[in-house]
Amino acid sequence: MKLAIDETRCKGCNLCTKICPYKIFKEGKKPNRKGTVVPELDRPERCTNCRLRNLYGRQLCGVCQLTCPDQAIHWTEEEPYELHKVAIEY
Amino acid sequence: MSYEDWFRQDRLPHIYCAGCGNGTIINCTLAAVDEMGWKKEETIFVSGIGCSSRAPGYILTDSLHTTHGRALAFATGVKMANPDLHVVVFTGDGDLAAIGGNHFIHACRRNIDLTVVCMNNQIYGMTGGQGSPTTPKGCLSSTTPYGCTEIPFDLCELATAAGANYVSRWTSYHVKELEKAVKVGLETPGFSFIEALVQCPTAFGRRNKFRQVTDHVEYLKVHSLLKAKRDRMLEAGEKIPEDMYVVGELTKRSRPAMGVKP
Amino acid sequence: MTSRLEFWQGNTACAEGALAAGCNFFGGYPITPSTEVAEHMAAKLPKKGGVFIQMEDEIASMASIIGASWTGARAMTATSGPGFSLMMENIGFAAMTETPCVVVNVQRGGPSTGQPTMSAQGDMMQVRFGSHGDYAIIALCPASVQEMYELTAKAFNLADKYRVPVFLMADETVGHMREKILVPDKVERVDRKPLAADALPFKADADLIPGFGQFGTGHHVHVTGLTHDERGYPATTNPKLHADLVKRLVDKIENARYDMADYDIINPDAHKVFVAYGGPVRTVQQVMHDRKDKDIGFLRIRTVWPFPEKALAAFKNAQAFFVPELNLGQMAREIERHVKVPVVSIPKLGGELHTPAELIAALEAKR
Repeated sequence: MKLAIDETRCKGCNLCTKICPYKIFKEGKKPNRKGTVVPELDRPERCTNCRLRNLYGRQLCGVCQLTCPDQAIHWTEEEPYELHKVAIEY
Repeated sequence: MSYEDWFRQDRLPHIYCAGCGNGTIINCTLAAVDEMGWKKEETIFVSGIGCSSRAPGYILTDSLHTTHGRALAFATGVKMANPDLHVVVFTGDGDLAAIGGNHFIHACRRNIDLTVVCMNNQIYGMTGGQGSPTTPKGCLSSTTPYGCTEIPFDLCELATAAGANYVSRWTSYHVKELEKAVKVGLETPGFSFIEALVQCPTAFGRRNKFRQVTDHVEYLKVHSLLKAKRDRMLEAGEKIPEDMYVVGELTKRSRPAMGVKP
Repeated sequence: MTSRLEFWQGNTACAEGALAAGCNFFGGYPITPSTEVAEHMAAKLPKKGGVFIQMEDEIASMASIIGASWTGARAMTATSGPGFSLMMENIGFAAMTETPCVVVNVQRGGPSTGQPTMSAQGDMMQVRFGSHGDYAIIALCPASVQEMYELTAKAFNLADKYRVPVFLMADETVGHMREKILVPDKVERVDRKPLAADALPFKADADLIPGFGQFGTGHHVHVTGLTHDERGYPATTNPKLHADLVKRLVDKIENARYDMADYDIINPDAHKVFVAYGGPVRTVQQVMHDRKDKDIGFLRIRTVWPFPEKALAAFKNAQAFFVPELNLGQMAREIERHVKVPVVSIPKLGGELHTPAELIAALEAKR
């Protein structure tokens, strides 16, 4: 699973930066087109729900999603990792 | 199905200010409703007037956005006329405790099978930050510019005294606990009252030294006193600090209820 | 159709009329002189599978019947002056959200607490204009126990057809009077137009009335007292939308005024014409009976709002209209708007009906 912030909904309150136990959300630095400073994700692969949701088959933690007053945080299914050929030129 | 499916996606983002706790409370309530496995056609959300009361407009069920303070009276009509419907009421501190105080007392007394989620931001948010019946003593608002001198209401004590079957209080910081509390409230026959203290950065925080949203949430977190701990402190004869909010499941009983599906 | 003979009080007839019309929710609060309606409903409704609930005040009574109405119930409340004033806010809500409901107002002397046990018609303007903003309602005025029964049943049909609060504006005289009544075995029933499966909940059809999206039937209707668009979503800052919505709420009633108009015209060629509704009808009837004068006409109105002004034009030779009322001439002013000949208001305050002699005196004073 992949953690994502919906920029069209986020109002930049930074509540997520406070409550994530892994401190994945960091305060953003520059405003987006709407003028909202959307938080940035710091190594989101550490998120419990990202790592283990499919293994356990249920929502884990999810405090950021419940807390987000603007319904901007959600998880998306990742595309399965595919091996691909890398051409190396000598 | 997750609680996100209960939103009217075409209405989001909602009108609440950045950092408003009401959105959090809607999330927790919908998560609890979703866990109950209720159908959308069988669930009705009712509200009065105020910031909190805009909530049903964002939920994909039949919903009733009524007049100021009267949400419980409307909900009583809905529930009594059709007990098959699950009725959840969103309300705020001004809506419930001030103009709707009488309806609140009588809904508790009747112990009618409703679940009431009160988003208590301790201020009138929508009209621009006037003092409400739950504004703590000394707090600044646009109608208490020298500090609130009145004694605030303890809504949970009121609900318990008036006869509600289930009463609990949490804050917008305690999302998981709040979700569980709402779920217990939904499961309990009779009147369930869940008070959720929320931050209002625009109208309350701005005037009361909470410059950042997170400051106010931190304050709510630090000033929450678990009921179990309060009871231990009382037993030990310790003094409970006045600025603490007792959180947890405050009342759970099974008095005869009205409007329960036979 | 067969019917049976009874000797009932007006308020009892009102409650029985409601039961016959299929009323299955009553939210009320005791107030003289309407209490008998609530008492009768409290005794009868539970036995018929309906719900009677005594609310904490009239504000809550009105709120509860609106809530019940949205679940599909035929809902009603009964009150009098002071309670009616309290209901005003939610009456506006019912008008804005197009909620069918029936409110019985057994009028008493006002203002304020006034004369709880005496008769008056002082709420005729309040019922039309009492809540803030522009809206339209339907108000019916019974003048006998028989009409208390029939008009209550009719009020439910009008409420459901036009999706509007309908008022039965009785007065203490009619409410507390006991007389003969022929109770029909069955009354006509007109139900709400249901909302089509994919239709928008507040998109009106050609008759300006939208289908009713009953709660619990999967329409996901958002009902709000805010200015709303056809989906029912709040849109409070759109001037055209608000203007169109309010215009439609008024037009759907005003345009249909002759579909629902209910009045009797007696002696249309007369030169002097009485216009009356409610209690004073009975005094006029006595005058007509005593005088047997073809030159005295009588327009007896049952649907007072929307006012059927065309009925006045039926009296082509009229030289003056005489309007006896138990107020200081509230409807006389409305009638004045519509006719070119003099309108003589015959007000009576104090709680008693006019005597026939008073009406004749007024008639003869105008020569």
